[in-house]
Amino acid sequence: MKDVLEKASFLIPALLLIFTFVIYPTIATILLSFNINLIPGVNLVEGSTSLENYVKVLTSEEFINPTGLRTSSFPMGAIVHNVIWILIHLPATTILGLLLAVFLQNIKGSSIIRSMIFLGMVIPMVVGALMIAFSFNKDMGIVPSIFKCLGILSLYKTWTSYPDTALLSLIIGSIWLWTGFSVTLYSAGLASIPKELIEAAKIDGAPFRVILFKIIIPLLRPVTVTVVAMTILWVLKIFDIVYVATRGGPGGASMVMALLMWDYFARMNAYTLSATIATLLTIIVLPVVILWIRYATRGE
Amino acid sequence: MASLEKKVISAAIISLIIGIGIGYAIAYYTIPRPKPVVTLTVIGPWSGVEMEYFMKVLKAYEREHPNIKIKYIAIRAEDLAAIAPPQFAAGKTPGDVLITPWGWWVASMGEKGHLVDLSELVDKEEFVPGIFDPVTRNDKVYGLPFTAWAKPGFWHRKSFFEKYGLKVPETWEEFKSLLKKIKEEIGITPIASGDGVGWPLSDTSEHFIITFGGPELQLKLIKGEVKWTDPEVRKIFEEYLVPLLKAGYFSEPKDWTAQVDLWWKGKYALYFMGTWITGMVPDPGDLGVFTLPGCKGIVMGTDYISVSKYTPNLEEALKLARWLATEGQRIHVGTKAGKFATWLKVELEEHWEPMRPVYKALMTGEVAVVPDLDDAVGGKWQTTFWDQLKLLWTNPDKLDEVLSTLQRVYEEQAKGK
Repeated sequence: MKDVLEKASFLIPALLLIFTFVIYPTIATILLSFNINLIPGVNLVEGSTSLENYVKVLTSEEFINPTGLRTSSFPMGAIVHNVIWILIHLPATTILGLLLAVFLQNIKGSSIIRSMIFLGMVIPMVVGALMIAFSFNKDMGIVPSIFKCLGILSLYKTWTSYPDTALLSLIIGSIWLWTGFSVTLYSAGLASIPKELIEAAKIDGAPFRVILFKIIIPLLRPVTVTVVAMTILWVLKIFDIVYVATRGGPGGASMVMALLMWDYFARMNAYTLSATIATLLTIIVLPVVILWIRYATRGE
Repeated sequence: MASLEKKVISAAIISLIIGIGIGYAIAYYTIPRPKPVVTLTVIGPWSGVEMEYFMKVLKAYEREHPNIKIKYIAIRAEDLAAIAPPQFAAGKTPGDVLITPWGWWVASMGEKGHLVDLSELVDKEEFVPGIFDPVTRNDKVYGLPFTAWAKPGFWHRKSFFEKYGLKVPETWEEFKSLLKKIKEEIGITPIASGDGVGWPLSDTSEHFIITFGGPELQLKLIKGEVKWTDPEVRKIFEEYLVPLLKAGYFSEPKDWTAQVDLWWKGKYALYFMGTWITGMVPDPGDLGVFTLPGCKGIVMGTDYISVSKYTPNLEEALKLARWLATEGQRIHVGTKAGKFATWLKVELEEHWEPMRPVYKALMTGEVAVVPDLDDAVGGKWQTTFWDQLKLLWTNPDKLDEVLSTLQRVYEEQAKGK
């Protein structure tokens, strides 16, 4: 018993820190979304305990815009924009990461190329956002210039200033920033695949397509699960590049959940509404995290 | 013998210690000591050259008050409005003296009990009439005005107009012809559109509202007495602003400071901006400005000085606030900041020369002075206004959507939703 207590005592500092900086703020935020204030001496709540914040947020046009959805035009609402972001970003970074990792595997000087791809992950997101804004700028950006050269003048414009292209420009930019992550993970995964397997397949005359789909991709499944989970989490929480490049505009066309949370907090000082968005984000993120942890702990 | 000697020495030492003690005590209570140095943190919205001009004011105060050191932190109005409230809620403040152009925010924080009532700090009669209105709630004044700016109209380079034989328009038709000539004959986009957080577009739009709806329409929109979807408002946008946007006479919105440089270099011919632009160009003597023909009002605004209730240096902070609102203005208007005084004891001649005509026109009542629309309404509506105008600038066909959104958010804000 004494031994157990002694061992447990070592956990106390860590538990204290986790409780102070993780558990307590999380519980306080969730309660705040119901207009219950746990923070002594700080007046953050104006209404009585209820679900009114959830009703306000879920029925607001910033969250879901029925008109935008009906007409398929932006803004469609922050949650829809996040979903669109995942639908484009997730397959793009996963497939690009896998293909680049496979093709760079046996190329001379691939480490330099990998480093260049990884640069997007290394630079601060704020700088990345500025680079996105410049890349899609009509006067100095490479993307509009390419479309000008191709004669597609409807896309020779500052993408971040127009509602139909603002979100897309951010998504494309985020793919560039995030691909380094998936390339790195897939490269590490590829290094762990026994070379004999691939060599044996080659000797048996298997074409590259078969090797890719029958050997490499199945063996990289644990890596793919991690890439998918981390990408979904990253996209759901995305804030900085939107804040810097478009501030959610024009007309809310690139608003996302995390920026909406910030808007409620900083622009409107509506702390309870901000806490509601934070809670909703947690509820959305939680299944992804649970599934990922389950998969990881199964040891597959 | 030796014992006597010891006693004498001991007595001498004791006498010496007592003497030093008495001498120190006398000196302590009679000789005036220098006051302890107090460091005040001032938060203001200016950076770059604007900050340099403001620093001249702060340095002057430090010279007059050797016991005060001032630490200046540049924080934009929108960032201060995000940073300060959570600190206030916890009984803390990010600075001793806070300066922001958002009067609505000052009044709101004051009403919540976070700012000191400054009603008795200055004589309000000595200031521009109405200047305290945005920061007054329940007869309490939570902000003192610093120097002011105006948004008089479209700035242009005189040399540019001379080079291409352009004339300042006197009618709306002449204005449209001017824009057409610039676009088709000179081959450039006529008007630069500033962006950043979005306020430059709101300034331009307000100028159209004041010109074609009169200063009273702007006041009614601020008070919510006229709806944004009202035919009178819609007509101004539909008949005057939207056709110019559709004709490509306005550039895409881009960072407003970068646009100053591009406009000065001739990429654009006109730029709607406030008087502070005079301090941002290499040759203010080459600047010309005109309003839309028929305009009867000019937007004027100021930066408000407030003092947090939670400052540990309340006495010193109040002294500085009072000085900034009065004598500090004399120094600031003399710099190239492009500002004019709201304290009426500052003479016309004390202003930087390019500012004198604007100051004279405003003070003699040649044009009506109108409050800044988005600064007066504030809150979520302000940022919505900026964002919706960005949408309108690139999608003029969405006028009805823009106006209905503005009205919806205004009503939500008014109801406290």
